[in-house]
Amino acid sequence: MQVHRSMRTNHFLFANQTTMAEKRRSGVSGILSDSKPAKPDTETEFLSQLGVGVLLRGALLKLAEVRPEDPIAFLADHFGNLASESENGAAGCGDAEQQNTQEQQQLERALWHLRLAHHSQRSAFNNNVRVAYELLVQSGQRPRVGGGVRGKIYAEMLRCLCREGEVPEATAAPLLRRIQCHDHEAVPFELFRQGVLTCAVFSDYVRKSRSLYASVCHPCPETPAERALCQAVLGTLRDALDTSDCADSARFLEASAKIAPCKLAEAMASARSPAGPQTGPTMDAREFEDAAAALFITRVRPTS
Amino acid sequence: MTDSPAAFTVKSPVPLDFGKAVTDTSRPGVFVIDITFPHGQAVNIQEISFKNYYTAFLMVRMMMRDPSQEGSPKWFTCLRNHRLMRNPHTEQGSQDYYSLYRQQMLTAPDGVTLVRLILRQPSLAWLNFTLEEIKIHPYPSEQDSERAVPGWLSHLTPGDQPDLQDLPDPETVSSSLQQMWALTEVMQTHQTAAPIGRFDVDGCYDVTLLSYT
Repeated sequence: MQVHRSMRTNHFLFANQTTMAEKRRSGVSGILSDSKPAKPDTETEFLSQLGVGVLLRGALLKLAEVRPEDPIAFLADHFGNLASESENGAAGCGDAEQQNTQEQQQLERALWHLRLAHHSQRSAFNNNVRVAYELLVQSGQRPRVGGGVRGKIYAEMLRCLCREGEVPEATAAPLLRRIQCHDHEAVPFELFRQGVLTCAVFSDYVRKSRSLYASVCHPCPETPAERALCQAVLGTLRDALDTSDCADSARFLEASAKIAPCKLAEAMASARSPAGPQTGPTMDAREFEDAAAALFITRVRPTS
Repeated sequence: MTDSPAAFTVKSPVPLDFGKAVTDTSRPGVFVIDITFPHGQAVNIQEISFKNYYTAFLMVRMMMRDPSQEGSPKWFTCLRNHRLMRNPHTEQGSQDYYSLYRQQMLTAPDGVTLVRLILRQPSLAWLNFTLEEIKIHPYPSEQDSERAVPGWLSHLTPGDQPDLQDLPDPETVSSSLQQMWALTEVMQTHQTAAPIGRFDVDGCYDVTLLSYT
């Protein structure tokens, strides 16, 4: 037994020393290795001098939080962002073209951060919004606009968010008109967070309205849905959204009673055209989506 | 639970004396408190609440306008010799809070214009006695919105199920609608009233600080 154990230990040390030698030769230090006390001191000192532990810990935490499908691409993006951030910090202000590309890069980076967490993961989402905000506040020409992100960048970012959420430009335009600010204005953090959250929620909402249209068309998926049916369904949603202002719990109960399946069945049955299906006027998907989006947009408070 | 009390005026307690001898050292054992309502309005009383101060026995009389008879209002005794203190000589019950409900009264207190509280304290131990913090709570009216059952509650149980042929499935439609409603709710609850400060002049509107430069 004794002999075997010592042989195994020897093998381990030998293997370690070769790895250490390789590392020293290539100078690469970013391998996921654990630092156990068995290693010689110079290596651990070298690694701790670089602050590699902190870097890797941050990368692993982010990876665990986001759980992307492609972890290697995610890690590559993460380290790429860190590298360009430290580069930009060192660089001074250049000419206009350089600044534009810099702005574009900052915008891309901010968008990357915002994509990491869904808006329902509230604390992670808020953290990412904070990081994106800090990134965008630093970008921009001198003299910097104090007090927030420049309105132009904010507007561009909202447009990109809506585009990524597969919301067509025409549908998103009324929403953006409500929450946008003038190009020269400075957007504070609260407004920034609200705008980003609204766009994220809106893209989910539009996606849901598409599946709603599909289920309304369900008896015959190829033909567009009856106009009266669509209007009945959207009407119940509007009723539920318009529920009077009483205590929150009472409001939720009342709204959920209005969109319960039995209520919907009644509304749809009364809206069905007596002549039979596919005889009345129809509503196509686009119109339905726009009507549903309008219900959402009227409840967004415009920026002032 | 009772509603907010009705407005009324309380006259100060008036002692009752017997005979013609009125001396400074007389200690009346009976006080009377009259309660009137403003503008002579008639009130339906649900409850009378007060804080006792060394009153032993209480009698409540009310002047009520009987709606069936057209004659003048008449006096009715609603509580006869109601004991507030278990032993008039001791402290027990002397400073307690009491409530008298309409169910305890001999006649239903409806259409009351005047309430007379007659306080008795036979013990010599307590020189002064009265009732404090008197509140009269009216009978709640029909239009009280907080007690009303909301309309939608009565429509919860579905009637006859309509014919669902050729109609989209209500369950899937309803679930999509619920999610859309919830998303709108999320957006609305996170609206902030933070202004962008479009019209701020360095954050202040003080006239003396505005200048042309």
